[in-house]
Amino acid sequence: MQYTNAIEGKNIVKKYKSFTLDVPEVKIPAGFATALIGENGAGKTTLLNILAGIRLDYKGELEYFGEYKDADRDNNPVVKENMGYTGTDNYFLPHWTVEQVKNLSKLLFDNFDEKKFMDIYDELAISSNGSYDGKKKVSELSDGTKTKLALASVLSRDTKLLIMDEPASPLDPLMRDKLCELIRNYLSSGENKSVFFSTHNISDMETVTDYAIIMEHGKIVEEGFVEDLKEKYILVKGEASDAKAAKEVLFTMTESKYGFEGICLSKDLDKLAGMDVVTETASLFQISVAVMKKNSRVK
Amino acid sequence: MKISQTSGVPIYQQIADAFRADILAGKFKDGEYLPSIRELARDLKISVITTMKAYEQLEAEGLVTAVQGKGFYANAQDSELLKEQHLRKVEESLQSAIFSADLAGITDKELIGMLEALLRVKDL
Repeated sequence: MQYTNAIEGKNIVKKYKSFTLDVPEVKIPAGFATALIGENGAGKTTLLNILAGIRLDYKGELEYFGEYKDADRDNNPVVKENMGYTGTDNYFLPHWTVEQVKNLSKLLFDNFDEKKFMDIYDELAISSNGSYDGKKKVSELSDGTKTKLALASVLSRDTKLLIMDEPASPLDPLMRDKLCELIRNYLSSGENKSVFFSTHNISDMETVTDYAIIMEHGKIVEEGFVEDLKEKYILVKGEASDAKAAKEVLFTMTESKYGFEGICLSKDLDKLAGMDVVTETASLFQISVAVMKKNSRVK
Repeated sequence: MKISQTSGVPIYQQIADAFRADILAGKFKDGEYLPSIRELARDLKISVITTMKAYEQLEAEGLVTAVQGKGFYANAQDSELLKEQHLRKVEESLQSAIFSADLAGITDKELIGMLEALLRVKDL
């Protein structure tokens, strides 16, 4: 499989008092949706903000779209014109109105398409009464609607890369489904369109995740295309009598008096020979939890 | 195309199976492009990498050809090639029947008798 990278990072380091982000290499494949997964405090937002160019106090090198360095990102408008970002904090000032958000997006970005904004505003039912309410203040919107507004402003621009911090969290199930649809539409809307998002809602986002990066304690502990991860890890279930022996082999395992269940590295599957086990393809959620558990301080 | 999230058959496999059946049935002309991986992912509501894996499997089977930057086209319309594909499938199935017959201690003669009986039933 051949692909290029939307972003490549090398030796990214950011030190805090009691936490260090240390990422020797990170790549966001172009043309795919990449999910950033990890516990609270693992460093997801820090890494995402560094890649998005929001945090500038880091060490390391970044390259965008195979040709622009981080200095270009800050000096050459073409990089940021091609990137869209939505965050978890109040990205728009609370006292702004919806109309001001629209006008500001128009002012800031050459490629902002006002008609598209209005279409998405309608499609996502951002207004509660069905018609455009430009006077509504951002502070009067619910968290979910703020996210919708951010999505509308970012999707109405012609970009090559979307970076979203926890876009699914504030959304209801229907809107999460819609978010997946929006991401798929974005990916299929042109050549090498890429999406990079952090999420705790792995199951909801699984059908739109192509590449997964799992972080713990400021480091990337696992990454890969989801279909490859599903070949690397396999779900195993077995009888309680084999639990002790299986524990020696499995990557992670939980047991009860009825039996055990765990994630096994496929290459270790042979070592379970002679045990009465069934195997299933693991979901991205199950793989992520296993990798997180293996590296977590949570008992 | 019907995709089941819970059938136990991997989704990429279900997609590959459906396209394989269509290609072998001649539903794609020689050189006709399959839907692009991103369009297919959008329409089936699955990830891009899953559709890609399905197409890569079909490519490995020689049913489609990948063209960089353009996509995957079907190449089974060629009637010789099509026949070859079917022939291979028939051989595989017969091989597995022979294997099972061996295990069950069924003689060659009995096996041929069974095949003849089945062929007669098929024509009814």
